[in-house]
Parts: sequence; C-alpha cells; structure tokens
Amino acid sequence: MKLALVVQRYGLEINGGAELHCRWIAEHLKKYAETEVLTTKAVDYITWKNHFPQDEEIINGIRVRRFPVTRPRRPEKFGRLQNELLGREHSEADELRWLDEEGPLAPSLIDYIRGHEKDYDYFIFFSYRYYHSYWGIRAVPRKSILVPTAERDPVIGLGIFRDLFRMPRAFIYNSVEERRMINALSRNESFIGDVVGVGSEVPAALSAEAFRTKHGVTSPYLIYLGRIDENKGCHKLFEYFIRYKKETASDLKLVLAGTTVMRIPAHPDILYLGFMGEADKFNALAGAELLVMPSFFESLSMVTLEAWALGKPVLANALCDVLKGQCLRSNGGLFYENYPEFREGLALLLGSPRLRQTLGVNGRKYFEENYRWEVIEKKYLAVFDRLEKDKEPAS
Amino acid sequence: MNQQSENAPGKRPDIAIDYENIDVARIMDDIKARVAGESVGESASAGAADSAPVPDFDLRSGDAQPPARGRARGLALRLMSPFRPLIKLLILPVYDEFQQTVRILHNTNLRLDHLYEVTDRDRHNAIVRLDRQREYTKLLHSLSHNLVVELTKLKIENDTLKARLEILEKDFDFLGKRERALEREVLE
Repeated sequence: MKLALVVQRYGLEINGGAELHCRWIAEHLKKYAETEVLTTKAVDYITWKNHFPQDEEIINGIRVRRFPVTRPRRPEKFGRLQNELLGREHSEADELRWLDEEGPLAPSLIDYIRGHEKDYDYFIFFSYRYYHSYWGIRAVPRKSILVPTAERDPVIGLGIFRDLFRMPRAFIYNSVEERRMINALSRNESFIGDVVGVGSEVPAALSAEAFRTKHGVTSPYLIYLGRIDENKGCHKLFEYFIRYKKETASDLKLVLAGTTVMRIPAHPDILYLGFMGEADKFNALAGAELLVMPSFFESLSMVTLEAWALGKPVLANALCDVLKGQCLRSNGGLFYENYPEFREGLALLLGSPRLRQTLGVNGRKYFEENYRWEVIEKKYLAVFDRLEKDKEPAS
Repeated sequence: MNQQSENAPGKRPDIAIDYENIDVARIMDDIKARVAGESVGESASAGAADSAPVPDFDLRSGDAQPPARGRARGLALRLMSPFRPLIKLLILPVYDEFQQTVRILHNTNLRLDHLYEVTDRDRHNAIVRLDRQREYTKLLHSLSHNLVVELTKLKIENDTLKARLEILEKDFDFLGKRERALEREVLE
C-alpha cells in the first residue's frame, strides 16, 4: 500500500497543530505502508512564504515532496475578506476567493495530486480549511481520506465546506465532538469514519527536579504549554490567575512555555520560560500540580493528552466542547466557564492532592485506552481495511 | 466506598468527593451549585448595601450656643441680632470659635469617609455586575454560534424535504398519466 499525506506545512521545526499530528502519523504508518508527504515550501503559517529551497527531502525516513506557494498570504486583506464573508450575505465565488487568499496557494501541489492519482492507494488530507484539502480532495475524491482537525470556529459554516464534507471516501476525526459537529453540518453520518486522534511520545525518564533546578522554580505551579495567544484564551487565563492570586494567599506560580504572540502581564508569579524542547517540556509537566488549558477552540489538544499520559490532572475551559467532553469522558480533569468556577476548581484541585492523583490516574487510563500509538495505528489500519472491503463489491 | 470532603484553601464549604468512584460531572455540578449560591448571597448583600441608610451626622453638634429660653430672651436676641457679630467678637473667646470649626471639620471628614466607603462599595458591586454581564455576553456568543449551527442543519433539512417533495410530485404526475393511459387502453 502506498500512502500520500497532504498537509499545509511539514518539517521538524513545526511542533504543533495539524502539522505535527501529520508528521507523527506519517512516521507511525511507515511501518505498514510506503508513506510520502506532499506539502508546500512554507514554514510561516501567517504568510506562507516559501522557505524550504529543495523540492524533495527525507525527514525521519519519510519522503517529503514540496511544492512552491505561488502567492503569499496578505494578512490584512485576508482578515478584511474574512470579516466581510462572515458578516454579510455572500456567494460561493466570494468563499472561493477567501479560500485562495487563505492559502497556501500551491496549484502545482494539486496538479501533482491529480497527475499521480494512480501512484498512490490513498491520499490523507490534514486540515479541512486550507486550499490543499479543498482542491486536493476534489482532484482525487475516490482515494481521499480527510482528517478535518476542525474546531468550532465560524468558517466551518461556509457553504463550500458543507459540500467538501460529503466528498472524501473516509474521515478520521479527532474527537467525538468534532464528528458530531461535522455530521450535523453536512449529514455525512453514512460515510466511513472513526474517532482516532493522535498518540504522544512520552520520554521514559522524567525529572521534575531537573526542571525546578534549571529554572529556579521552588513553589507549586500550574503549567500552560502551547502558543501564548488571545485565540488560545491566554488573556482570560492571565486575568483569572491574577485575580485568584489577589483573593488567596497562595504561593502558586503560573509557568508558561511556548512561542508568544501577545503581551504577557508583568506579574511576579507568572513565569514565562520561552520555547522548550521536548525533554524540558515533559520535565516541566511532570513537576506541575496540573495543566491549565484555557483555549476556546480545540479539535483535540495534544498537550492535554500528554498531561494525562503523565498522570497529571487538567483544568480546562468548558466553553470548548472538545475539552469539556474529554474531561467528562476521562474523569481526568475539571473545567470552568467563568472566574468563580475557575477559582473553585483550582482551589479544589490544589487543596486535595488525592483528588489530583485520582484524576491523573483516570487521565492516564483514558490515554492508554484511546491514544497509545498501538491503538491509533490499529484504528488507521481498520479504516484502510473498511475502504478496501467497500471497494470489493464494486469491482 | 470512600467518601471524603476536603476543604479548598480558605473558608469555603465542603464538596463531597467519592474517590473510589470519581465523577467529574458530579463534582462540576457541586461547583456550579456553590458558585450559584455565592452569587445569590452576593446580590442579596449588594441589595442590602444599596438600601442601607446613610448615618445621620449631627453637623450642628459644634454649635455651642444654648437654645434661647423664654420669650423675653428670644425678643432680646432678635433685637440684638444685627449686632451679633460684633457682640460675638467682643464676648466670645477665639478658642471657642476655633473649637467649633474643628468640630465641624471633623464631622465633615466623617461624612466624607462614609461617602468614600459607599462609593467604594458601589464600585465593587459594579465590577461584580460587569463581570456577570461579561459572562452572560460570552454565553450569548456561544448560544448564537449554536443557533447558527442549528439553523444550518434546519436549512439542509428544508432543502432535502423540498427535493423529496418535488420527486413525489413528479411521481404523482407520472402515475396519473400512467393511470389515464391504462384506462384508455382498457376502454379501447
């Protein structure tokens, strides 16, 4: 079997979101099938400017074919277009213009997919909302599998996507909530699909002490890992944390790690440690009392799964239905909708080591049952099997 | 079953947690109930504060003049009133004037302190109300989003039903024609 995984960006320097998801899946599927990645030469997700010079390279044993972006995104124009699109009545042509502007505009990638349909058994497209998925799935609908990584953001309501969700042969969803949302939008319940998600590589040796010594953190802390961005709900997290600190005499710290695109308030108990390597990140997570996940829109939240893999409880934003659903299904974390609930949930978790431990154990069990790599690989193979069986009567 | 209550740091009432069979949904229900209880308490106390009467300060307490007694005394005082400032200046010690002024200022300070306190409380209540409004707005936003999703579903449903109706109408026409054709054939 030969697979092509199609994604907007790919590389070792991209360490989050659908791109990392795609890389991990590619690296795990190579045991079972000849796996290639088709992507663009971009690395910056805001402008999609061409960055990688070479057309082809091998990354961790995977052949990666790169195609140039013919026109970088103009963020201001794109923002204006999106506001107009979401705020006014519009036509399908407007939506397609928005899609072109969103990018990454790489027509040669689509031409390659169309021209090499026979060379691959399946094309797995990651992220429904970009140019490569929309036109790629249209080019090879009978061989396409979509991993939508859809969040509950407004663009999912655009008419072009309703049709798109009725086009691929199969779907691989990240969560039950994501499947429910896409089913509701496009009535594609009858399509082959499964809730799979992605696994995680947890290092065998962890040292919370090493993290504490390296960064001089002596007090108990909660941790946020990921992009520090208003879109991720970080502004609310800062507001709630500072208010919590004012109201209680706790010596709690908030440790942040990741790239930042917003101003972090200058507060003695908010420690921003910049971008962290994998080992450092897991050490930091191992030493934390809990992980806090303030994001409003998530399709899976890999970092939440990593916290559960380490047996750490989670305090998540309940306005994100995926995070709330994961907490309820796993019994591995609490959630909040507003400040009073944040305060109560945090106080309850910090005041009870036993509760933290029990939630952590539940989280780890949930991770082991659903997100271990063996489970993920098996689910992908099951989808391929169903597609093969589905093909047989027709031939 | 191992059921235990643990206090969060501080003074809050307990939430019972069954550690052997932990249920996040139930814990969250307890947290929500507690938060709801608190906000009811807050609004009740806020209401009480709003309606609390302002203490009555005797701003004339510095007036050391004894009340006039008797009609004759009253008449004499009225007659002397144009000369009052002069008489005061001549007979009243400056010390008494000073003491009166200090008392009046002290009472003014007390009044101002009270007004500050009331304003501060109002400001705090306004912040609480604003926070609640913000949460409502957020909920409304989420509600609008869900409504959009539901409307989208309904539109799809409507389109499907319309298409089905058209098909049924066509089928009906076709069957009618067929019936007429068969009748003709039978009659012939």
